[in-house]
Amino acid sequence: MIKAIDLSRVFLTEEVETTALRQVSFEIKKGEFVAIMGPSGCGKSTLLNIIGLLDNPTSGKYYFLDHEISGSSERQRAKHRKNNIGFVFQNFNLIDELTVFENVEMPLIYLGIPSKERKRRVDEVLEQMQIAHRRKHFPGQLSGGQQQRVAVARAVVSNPKLILADEPTGNLDSANGEEVMNLLSELNKQGTTVVMVTHSQRDAEYSSRIIRLFDGQILAENFQSN
Amino acid sequence: MWINYFRIAFRNLSKHAFYAFINMSGLAIGIASFIIIWLYILDEVSYDSYHKNAENIYRLVNVYDFEGVGEESASSPFPVAWTLQNDYPDKVKNVTRVFNRQVPRTLIQYEEKSYNERGFFFADSSFFSLFDHQFLQGDPQTSLNEINSVVITQSTARRYFGEEDPMGKTIRFEKLLDLKVTGIIHDVPHNSHFSFDMMASISSLRKLYRGSLPKTWVWNPCWTYLLLQPGVADQLSENFPGFIQKYFYDAEKEHVTLYLQPLLDIHLKSSLDYEIEPNSNILYLYILGGIAFFLLIIAIINYLNLATATSAHRAREIGVKKVFGATRDQLIFQFLMESLLMSFSALIIALVIAELSLPVFNLFTGKAIFLDRLAEPVYILGLFGIGLITGLLAGLYPAFFLSAFNPIDSLRGQLKQGAKSGSARKLLVVVQFVVSITLIIITLGIFNQLRYMRNADTGFNKENILLLPISNTMIARDFEQFKKELLQNPKIESVTAMDDILGVAHNTHEFRPEGFPEDQWQFYPALVVRYDFLKTFGIKLIAGRDYDESMKTDPEKAVLINEAMVHHMGWKSNEEAIGKKFRSLQGEERVVGVMSDFNVTSLHQPAGPFVLNIKEQPGVVHWFLKYAAIKIHPEGKQEVMTFVNDLWDQWEKGRPFEYSWFENELAQLYHDEEVLGFLALTLTLIIIFIATLGLYGLVAFMAAQRTREIGIRRVMGASEWSIVRLLSVEFIKLVLISILIAFPLTWWLTDYWLSHFAYAMPVSWLNYVAGGLSAMVLALIITSLRALRASLTDPVNSIKYE
Repeated sequence: MIKAIDLSRVFLTEEVETTALRQVSFEIKKGEFVAIMGPSGCGKSTLLNIIGLLDNPTSGKYYFLDHEISGSSERQRAKHRKNNIGFVFQNFNLIDELTVFENVEMPLIYLGIPSKERKRRVDEVLEQMQIAHRRKHFPGQLSGGQQQRVAVARAVVSNPKLILADEPTGNLDSANGEEVMNLLSELNKQGTTVVMVTHSQRDAEYSSRIIRLFDGQILAENFQSN
Repeated sequence: MWINYFRIAFRNLSKHAFYAFINMSGLAIGIASFIIIWLYILDEVSYDSYHKNAENIYRLVNVYDFEGVGEESASSPFPVAWTLQNDYPDKVKNVTRVFNRQVPRTLIQYEEKSYNERGFFFADSSFFSLFDHQFLQGDPQTSLNEINSVVITQSTARRYFGEEDPMGKTIRFEKLLDLKVTGIIHDVPHNSHFSFDMMASISSLRKLYRGSLPKTWVWNPCWTYLLLQPGVADQLSENFPGFIQKYFYDAEKEHVTLYLQPLLDIHLKSSLDYEIEPNSNILYLYILGGIAFFLLIIAIINYLNLATATSAHRAREIGVKKVFGATRDQLIFQFLMESLLMSFSALIIALVIAELSLPVFNLFTGKAIFLDRLAEPVYILGLFGIGLITGLLAGLYPAFFLSAFNPIDSLRGQLKQGAKSGSARKLLVVVQFVVSITLIIITLGIFNQLRYMRNADTGFNKENILLLPISNTMIARDFEQFKKELLQNPKIESVTAMDDILGVAHNTHEFRPEGFPEDQWQFYPALVVRYDFLKTFGIKLIAGRDYDESMKTDPEKAVLINEAMVHHMGWKSNEEAIGKKFRSLQGEERVVGVMSDFNVTSLHQPAGPFVLNIKEQPGVVHWFLKYAAIKIHPEGKQEVMTFVNDLWDQWEKGRPFEYSWFENELAQLYHDEEVLGFLALTLTLIIIFIATLGLYGLVAFMAAQRTREIGIRRVMGASEWSIVRLLSVEFIKLVLISILIAFPLTWWLTDYWLSHFAYAMPVSWLNYVAGGLSAMVLALIITSLRALRASLTDPVNSIKYE
């Protein structure tokens, strides 16, 4: 599903050149649950952004669903993104001005799905995430755990092939964190590929493989059975 | 998707209701002011354009120049019109003369009703062929063909005849003629350079002028309009020198020139002697149009600044949308939609504001402007255009700016909105301040000039002088007796009479001072007066003596001249002027006194040479006495009014009593400036208001942008005031730069405006200081208030923001 060959990412500011990724190569197969771990500043988020087509590598090749993506325009990346990838963030990133229902509905709007179909799918996924009773609330009226469930619902509503989660439990207490991890695990069992960046060893244990990054390089890959 | 856009737009507006309110109200007020000024200008440029031949109608102007003294007259001698048509039939299609006997009021009676008509004129039967007026009854081609016929307006008809049919009824003119109503027209549109209520056939006057209309080429009382073949005006004008040589009197030939003034130029470009009504000035339209334009620009700039300022709140929304597949186009579209939604809402609010403020506007400007003037496709399109352009201009920048955020950065909150647009934003602030400061100074200047004109020493008294229009009255025929009866009231200090209102208008008369050859008659500005003129108006005598009633020869033998006339004659001193010959049409006269100079017309014109003369031939004296002037003791006004009214009723049975205060007649001269002052003040206040809103939004934006910096500085021990200083200092710099630009700009503009006045009050440096200071103080207050709020925020919160 995903193949990276010698990916590098260099950030240039006026005076400083920072290398976030150095010739990273890896492959992620369909149906995997991969955790990316490493200390702060090791390049985790940069890697996730490239995987999620939010950013382009400075050099190297990146294949997403057998398409060579590196160097493609924002417009092309946006197209792949909306059709194939769902995102879950540490700080949820819900739009405060939209209700739970509308937040979850948003990706479907950009996919051009008709309103009736949208309603059906949003209702379905809200049921699934056990948040349907809050559908008319605004994000500010929900607890952190509820907000992250809404964010997960938004990530999966378009049936993406890949879900990218950037420290999805970072802002949650352990009970809520576990709930979210169970949701992701469940989605993975249903066949969705999940890539997650995390600091937490506990969260990482839900995954089938852990990629460890240090100073922009892959230090180790551990396969684990759960 | 649309619903989603609207939903977000609406929720965003209500979430930031305060910003939305100031942003929308600024734009709405800006557009409303622009609409109103636009309507005003539309109205001003529409004068006389409703005549279908308007482009080919001209008014003939007569210039009499006697070595710099004389007149530039809007009216011409009686025979000119028809002579021109006879001599140049291939160029002149039609002519008409309009004549009001040079009297301010005309007594008209019908049965028990009688009115002093101001809008009574005589005209040739061709009048309604040249000018288009809508006839409700009667025939425009023939209605003035007959002698003693009159066409009246609808509201005049109602005033005299109520529900009766006026056609064929007769009204009585000055107790002299019976005029038959032969036509009724709609009231004259207000956008006409002169308005009338009654138009009588000029042939009716023959009876009053012993059988035929005056044939003299000297007296020039007829406003003369020519309908020309298209494009021949220049060719016709080339013939004027020959025409003058052929017809004008020898004494005049060398001093007269004629020119054609397009009908459509009269209202905005004409300020001649003897205008039918005072006209407007195109310069004032430029001033107002300029202010209105800047106002709109500032409202848009303001919108733009506030929209970008509030954009920080939208960063996450944009990031999330991008992550979930929104393209940049979709986001641009969304933001443009929002901006257009705002601008069109503002447009609607603006229309409501305009509709509500037009009555007040009309009240102050004396206009009759309504919003439905805009109910024409081209104007609706124009309005739509304002909404569209404003929305696009205001929306484009934020749309492109906001949608360009990198989604990763916007989700992390790492926005540097200010960095890219910093200098553009500063430029916009400077533009706002330059305009505001310039307008403050100019408005102060306009008010200074107005105050100066109202209070300037014109060389005569203005207070407590009552004016009675007395042309054609019994009073004018026996003025000295009337005066004697008035003076029995101890509250009446003195009484005189004149043929025009001093300081407002005057005629020119023929004189031949000592040293000019037999045939060299000179036309000098003059008033025909009665005794006690100097006393009543407080004009100073600086040599010789005033008119003296006990000197029986004074009316025939004595003139008074002013100092400027002494200089004009080249006489060495005022004393030397006494006893000089000063022949008039009445015969040999001599200068008996020299007066100090006074302003004989408005302060737009310089005070020039002037003559006072008394005429006393029986039969003509009442022609020359058009106003009685009564100086009243300040404490007896009400009592005297009743007394004068009673006396009037004894003298003038059936003629309504009418009066005005001299002061008000003079103030009328500056009506235009008064309107300009009112409009400039209002617009300036609006601009300052809008600029203030914009500034507030901007400071709020800057404070938000530097929240973290402020937090850190506070943690490190900075005081509130040092934070206020930090935030304010940048704006103060901008204000200083604006002042540097605004001062020379203002100086240049006011210098140009004031060059149109003979007596101008230069804009004082105090006005500059006031303009600069008020901008500075305003900016200081606004920035400090907002900065203080920012500095008082708990630093822990602002640091956590990151």
